[in-house]
Amino acid sequence: MTAMQRVMQSNVSTSAATTTCYGGLSSCKGEEVMISDQFPAGLRVLVVDDDITCLRILEQMLRRCLYIVTTCSQAKLALDLLRERKGCFDVILSDVYMPDMDGYKLLEHVGLEMDLPVIMMSADGRTSAVMKGIRHGACDYLIKPIREEELKNIWQHVVRKKWNENKDLEHSGSLDDADRHKRGNDDAEYASSVNDATDASLKALRKRSNAKEEDDGEIENDDPSASKKPRVVWSVELHQQFVSAVNQLGIDKAVPKRILELMNVPGLTRENVASHLQKFRLYLKRISGVAQQGGISNPLCGPVEPNVKIGSLGRFNIQALAASGQIPPQTLAALHAELLGQPTSNLVTAMDHPALLQASLQGPKCIQVDHGATFVQPIVKCESSSSKHFPQSFAPVEDVTSGFRAWPSNNIVTAGPSNNGGLSSQNGNMLFDLLQQQLQKPQQQSTVPELRRSINVQPSCHVAPSQSSAGFQAGNSPVSVTQNSSFSRTAVIDYSFLLSQSNCSSLSIGQVSDVNLQTTGILSGYIPPASVSPSVSSCSVNADNCASQQVQTPNMINKASRNMPGFVHSTSNGQDPYGSTKSGDLLDQAPFNNVGYINKGTCLPARFPVHEFQLPLSSSSLGKVFSENIGTRVKQEPNMEFEDNARVGIPMLQQFPPNDLMSIFTE
Amino acid sequence: MLGLAADRLRADMNRLLAFLFHQGILDEQFLQLQQLQDESSPNFVSEVVNIYFHESEKLLRSLRSLLMDREFSDYNKMGIHLNQFMGSSSSIGANRIRNVCVAFRAASEQNNRAGCLRALELLEHEYCFLKNKLHELFQIEQQRVLAAGVRYPMQNI
Repeated sequence: MTAMQRVMQSNVSTSAATTTCYGGLSSCKGEEVMISDQFPAGLRVLVVDDDITCLRILEQMLRRCLYIVTTCSQAKLALDLLRERKGCFDVILSDVYMPDMDGYKLLEHVGLEMDLPVIMMSADGRTSAVMKGIRHGACDYLIKPIREEELKNIWQHVVRKKWNENKDLEHSGSLDDADRHKRGNDDAEYASSVNDATDASLKALRKRSNAKEEDDGEIENDDPSASKKPRVVWSVELHQQFVSAVNQLGIDKAVPKRILELMNVPGLTRENVASHLQKFRLYLKRISGVAQQGGISNPLCGPVEPNVKIGSLGRFNIQALAASGQIPPQTLAALHAELLGQPTSNLVTAMDHPALLQASLQGPKCIQVDHGATFVQPIVKCESSSSKHFPQSFAPVEDVTSGFRAWPSNNIVTAGPSNNGGLSSQNGNMLFDLLQQQLQKPQQQSTVPELRRSINVQPSCHVAPSQSSAGFQAGNSPVSVTQNSSFSRTAVIDYSFLLSQSNCSSLSIGQVSDVNLQTTGILSGYIPPASVSPSVSSCSVNADNCASQQVQTPNMINKASRNMPGFVHSTSNGQDPYGSTKSGDLLDQAPFNNVGYINKGTCLPARFPVHEFQLPLSSSSLGKVFSENIGTRVKQEPNMEFEDNARVGIPMLQQFPPNDLMSIFTE
Repeated sequence: MLGLAADRLRADMNRLLAFLFHQGILDEQFLQLQQLQDESSPNFVSEVVNIYFHESEKLLRSLRSLLMDREFSDYNKMGIHLNQFMGSSSSIGANRIRNVCVAFRAASEQNNRAGCLRALELLEHEYCFLKNKLHELFQIEQQRVLAAGVRYPMQNI
């Protein structure tokens, strides 16, 4: 009897132990990061890249950041390594294009099996590629060449992920039974050191990631691994159906079963609806009680998706984007702000209320209203400070409107920075159209290293939690750094705002049309005007500013500052130089390459992303050049090569339509 | 006397670097590379650059063989090679090479074989030029280190 009792007791105690163990472990994960005294040093990074050069460079950079680096040049090897040494890595850096396995495949595997943050890298910085990375659930997307500063901040992804997971677990109390089961499973997953290969863990993880959802209809994981369930993406239409069903039932009475019946969507399960409902409820709670959310406790409030999904997104499948995994919240915030700002979008909730708008901007995205104010002011400041450069009055919005080629719906209201909401909507619209344009044109991010830190001034993004008004101190806000790498165009504003900052290291350029903001580092722009000249002349402003700062070689600077005005002139003919005069692009390269060297240290080089546009090699011009230079070059004396090189330079340029810029070169 | 040689060599090196930057052959990323060199990896720059040369030559060769192939149609594959070349070139700061790669990529996306060929030739030219220049740079550096290290017996007393 006593023996049995003892056995029973021990059973109870062990089960109790295990349950606490489960709970404990899951919370442990979050605490782990916080209590480690080496943090963020000692972060264990796995780098996967088939390019040995980059691998070696990254390794060295990461070592300098005091991270523990493991490198791998093959994706398959990396996966094996990850599977073997579970829990041995905190974050993964992976190249996109690899010969043995697509980087996105690796990303999916890692996401499914190990749920580690994965940061993609590529030389291809075109928006479409970046978008693809986001859609596949990458935590971040870095564009080569990668700078050490960018790597210094990768720890934020680890922390963020852990916090998000903890938040999700906290919210498990509000789930209905099915979801609780899921959570229970998840906890079990945390606790047990089950090998990924087992079906149980895979299914559990998939159930959880089901809640995150993916593209509707498309089954993007075409990996041949074990049991695969098609993921559900809450597209605009689907969400609208959902919301109307909920409204019909009444938010209190809305239960997943009934919602499912009302929606009558084939293939949708009750679990899908249940998890979506949970998120919806959280969102509603958040936007209703959001005014008090001052300091942001964690940069990413848990389920960000509902915020975006609430609006019906006409042009962009934001929901799909939002739903498909861990979209950086800043992006979502930006998109969300865009949505909220759109006057013509048929938003379900009371989006027209500026208060609500601000509140919703505030809450989940942890954006303060005064951020909106902050954004507005710089623009005004910019206008006054650079009025001499910009003949036109400050009517950015209209200019933008006219400048954009693809402007699906002209939501931009004429009112300038009259209210925060309006402004943010305008910016948001610009963001969207920029994105769309980017998607249309293949583009390449040029490598202006410092510009990675260009600030994304979208009102709804990049707010370092603890800072309210000075949200955009580039150096201090880790969030902004990496975000910009993925959404280069969105650095719409904040020119003079940043100028007014003591460290001018974070000048962002607001440029429109096809100019890649990342590359146009110093050319800080205000709201991107349509014509390039204002923003171009803004670069002369900055060139002057930065020329006064530390200077590397005098001749380089002179050349650059000479080039600037030249460039301004050349572009003030109204036509969009990047879009139409393709032949001029090569021409533009040179000055900006030189300009790039002006600024050391704090100032960002001003470079135009000339090379990101298609340079059709017209047979006449380049052919001539090639025929001149082919063959003989290589083994010549250095001096000779210098001359040849000079000859190469000039003839190439001379092929192109004469220009004010040309005169600079022929001087 | 030798001190002068070392200084002269350093001046040569700086002049060469300035030239390379000025011409847009190298950009700041190269400086980043130089900054990464420290006591724990004293030959970092030359190590990386040599890796780069090695890999680039492989890439250039495969690009050329792709393009020379009569039945060439796999622009995709070429795009992948190009992408890698672009990535490594930009990572070491080979600015001009990277720019040519961009043009090359544009031509390849348009399935413009002639344009690709031209771009490849330009690429090879730029690559060779860069290689020569960087070799020269390393040579000067080596000599400078040697010159700076030599001591006359009298000086040690």
